[in-house]
Amino acid sequence: MNRQQAEAKLQALFKLDKFYDEQWDTIDRMFKGERVLLIERTGFGKSLCYQFPATQFSGITVIFSPLIALMRDQVSKLNALGIKARCINSEQTPEENSAIIKDATQNLIKILYIAPERQENEEWITATQKMKLSMVVIDEAHCISVWGHDFRPAFRRIVNLVNLLPKDMPILATTATATKKVEDDISTQIHGSLNVIRGNLLRENLQLFVLNVQSEDEKLVWLGQNLLNVSGSGLIYTGTKANTKIYSQWLEFLKIPSTWYNADLDADSRIEIEEGLKKNKWKCVVSTNALGMGIDKSDIRFIIHTQVPQSPIHYYQEIGRAGRDGKPALIILFYNEDDKALPEAFIDGGRPPVSMYEKVINVIKQELVGEQELMKKANMKQTQVRVIKADLIDQGIIREVLFGGRKKYEYIVNAPSLNTKAFEELRAWKKTDLDNMLQYVHTTKSRMNFLCEYLGDVEKGSYNNCDNSGLEKLVVKLDSEWKERLQRFREEYFPELEVESKYSNLVNGVAASYYGVSNVGRAIHRSKYEAGGDFPDFLIKLTLQAIRKTFGSQKFDLILFMPPTKSGDLVKNFATKISGILKIPISNSLVKVKTTQEQKVFENNLLKEENVKDAFTFKGTETIAGQTILLIDDVFDSGKSIREVGKLLTKMGAAKIVPVVIAKTVGGDL
Amino acid sequence: MKDAAYWIALSHLPRWGSQKINNLIIKFYHNSGISIEEFFNLPKGIWEKQYELEAKDVKDLVNAKLEVPNYAFLAESLISQGFEMIPITSKVYSQTLKNNLKTSFAPPLLYIKGNTKLLHENSVAIVGSRDASEIALKFADVIAKKSTESYKVIVSGFAKGVDRQALDSAIKYKGQSIIVLPQGIQTFTSGYKEYYRQIVNGDVLVLSTFFPKSPWKTALAMARNPIIYGLANDIYVAESSEKGGTWEGVHDGLKKGRKIFVRMPQPGEKNANKLLIASGAIPIDDVGNVIYVAPKSVSGSSKITVVNEPSDTFDETIRNLVRSKPMTASEILEKLKLDYSVRKLSTQLKKMDFLETKKIKNKIHYKVKINSSVQPTLF
Repeated sequence: MNRQQAEAKLQALFKLDKFYDEQWDTIDRMFKGERVLLIERTGFGKSLCYQFPATQFSGITVIFSPLIALMRDQVSKLNALGIKARCINSEQTPEENSAIIKDATQNLIKILYIAPERQENEEWITATQKMKLSMVVIDEAHCISVWGHDFRPAFRRIVNLVNLLPKDMPILATTATATKKVEDDISTQIHGSLNVIRGNLLRENLQLFVLNVQSEDEKLVWLGQNLLNVSGSGLIYTGTKANTKIYSQWLEFLKIPSTWYNADLDADSRIEIEEGLKKNKWKCVVSTNALGMGIDKSDIRFIIHTQVPQSPIHYYQEIGRAGRDGKPALIILFYNEDDKALPEAFIDGGRPPVSMYEKVINVIKQELVGEQELMKKANMKQTQVRVIKADLIDQGIIREVLFGGRKKYEYIVNAPSLNTKAFEELRAWKKTDLDNMLQYVHTTKSRMNFLCEYLGDVEKGSYNNCDNSGLEKLVVKLDSEWKERLQRFREEYFPELEVESKYSNLVNGVAASYYGVSNVGRAIHRSKYEAGGDFPDFLIKLTLQAIRKTFGSQKFDLILFMPPTKSGDLVKNFATKISGILKIPISNSLVKVKTTQEQKVFENNLLKEENVKDAFTFKGTETIAGQTILLIDDVFDSGKSIREVGKLLTKMGAAKIVPVVIAKTVGGDL
Repeated sequence: MKDAAYWIALSHLPRWGSQKINNLIIKFYHNSGISIEEFFNLPKGIWEKQYELEAKDVKDLVNAKLEVPNYAFLAESLISQGFEMIPITSKVYSQTLKNNLKTSFAPPLLYIKGNTKLLHENSVAIVGSRDASEIALKFADVIAKKSTESYKVIVSGFAKGVDRQALDSAIKYKGQSIIVLPQGIQTFTSGYKEYYRQIVNGDVLVLSTFFPKSPWKTALAMARNPIIYGLANDIYVAESSEKGGTWEGVHDGLKKGRKIFVRMPQPGEKNANKLLIASGAIPIDDVGNVIYVAPKSVSGSSKITVVNEPSDTFDETIRNLVRSKPMTASEILEKLKLDYSVRKLSTQLKKMDFLETKKIKNKIHYKVKINSSVQPTLF
């Protein structure tokens, strides 16, 4: 098929007039059964490069994509054009997925989007034996490389698959973010001749700003002062999940319509927010970088980072979601000198010590274990176990296998010994990349030129679209009015304790503060570990505010408090004072029946749960059945003890159990 | 392992059989010096002309080629689960297996999990009934111990009775074992769990020649026995009944000219060990020492027969006999002075893949096939 013929079909099928040269070049190579890596900026029209050939092939085209939102968008667009496209993903029911898989084996589907993890699925692999495969596409191909910003181990299997496929099977790998190093890595991994087509990644319509601030407060205040003056809707990216909530609550406090989004949300809520974002339901969505990849919204007008990303490639990937319609979009990075501690900690702490690796290897040599068994046997945090596992898999020391549908880790016969040099190399690379990001922050030259050079763009332009080149610098003024507003916000905003489950009558409770925020954590530490006496009164005041704000209309029948691990009456005295003020009877009868260790000794929730299992009893005569109970503790971490007491009280007939604590830790395990 | 999908496609060609597949492999791999992928990408015309494939064979290959992308998914899934595929052209493929089974029977592709180094060690097979007696199990244990002490790998079939005893004893004595599965390599989940530590330590290798997902079947168990024998340098039979896997397996082995040691039963034992010995197996005592048996006492005839020799030369004798001129079965019988019936000999002759038949004056004559006089160089 020549270009003219193809463009005639393009008009009929996609209602588009013609291909760009690079698009046609790619498509032509697909028809010739070649392998291509296509690096083009977001909004270029990469998907047409496989969607069009897919409609012309006799069999099915399978697209491995890590982004469920993108799959959904693309499938509905294709279906609207009358092209048979489907996606298989974890958000659909198993029945829906099975029906689609069946259609695929009967060649009733032209374009099938699936997540790379689907390669682990038995039903899928069985179905592939009956499919008529015409082309394979690897979307977000930078996920193949550890030198990219989003390495995903599941892509390793896709690379292996591609290398096993016949050499004349057309393969297209696409990405919008690949440095030369990533490009080379992808070329090395995918055997056979991989043709690279690279376009210019940079976008003049992005207006780049860096706002240097002295504190977290200044970031909040700048948003309060300016956000409503920015046109359109957009995204605020925070560094942590906890911050998505804090920033969103702050905007809500200021009556700026917003919502928060992070990986903790369930699928329905995520879809709802993605849809709402497209319809400009809010001024902004405050999110971790979990949101945005692959969302098809062309008019995101601003992207603001409250935390400096790990590298320019991370940053480029995230800001690339703005202004796809080519109209101006505001790109702001907040930077406080202290902010680099978070990515630094991530890079340094991301790699557990070698002794931990050896511990994991020894456990896996002895028996076939899953992740949870591994965490228990090695007494390690899930995050640590995951990092170690990934490295050991990478080095060919262990492999992930499926046993009865469950993932287990198997030691590889005649495996090499641990190569710590590889970690050092990667760590050094990440450090350099963070330095590059900080250079972006501090540069006095064109920021776009900086990114251009970093990404290895072929054409070098001269861009005047930043606060160093043509645009005015941003400033923030922290005056007393705004200081007061922040103060009021802090007295009204209380973190939620998520403990509701079907196993007990516990409801989600409230904390007076986050542990690390303001002076609360310090005050608790002084009383608990520095013999500082009872918890100070301001904590009582704050806790009462939290109770009134969250459970103002709730009537409580009884106050109970969590018995301490070691002796001490801190929580008892605290609860007694609350009881006196709220005039709710208090009982001392919740006690421990077995000696437990302090929860913080345990590195993961599984061991924490075991530690407190059946550890409590109620030895009093007070009525529990039918009562609403206020359950008080000082610090909430995993919530395992509170859940255990919740189960006990539910068994005794308690109608409702409301947990309230002074502080909730940020982060935690799982 | 980049050619894995092609190897799966070729090795499970329906109704082709090992010999036909191996002969094709010899042609493209050895004679033409091209890879399996290159072979599959040749035009049909070349398949027909240069490789002398018939229309039906070409059709089979075309269909197999269409399946290659599908087998790529299967191969990826196998590799990620820690299985390896070893084609007959690979250096990792067991030389013992090639030597014993030759082009006719050597499986073109092995599926394995575990330490492939075990494929190159000196090895013994220990086989016998599923419902073996205590004496037989004890014998298996003794042979496993002796073999382990001399660093031999124990090959067994993971059947109940003798096979399991051989495996468990090998592990008990800290030896090494090959388990030859009567099923596809992917359907052995409980086994991988049970022998996990031995597998990852490199002491156990699991091997199958069947399609990876095939469930256990009697037919596969039967087809598996020659592989057990083929992988072993020596074969020890603890106990056999008059039918079933061991019985068939030993006869198959003897037919292929293998040296097979059978435990001489004690008086009163009810098994078919003596019959196997009568068919040509070598009798040994409870601790594995060869018992010398005068030919007369076994055959009950004064004629010296080929079959009670530990004969791996029977095939050669026949080959030499009919090389110069075609002969009928009864002529061969007469010439070799065998105490066989004509029918029994005919059955054996028909199984010899290097022979073909030719009718001369309405009588079936046996002659050596053209091209089969030389062992292919791949082996």
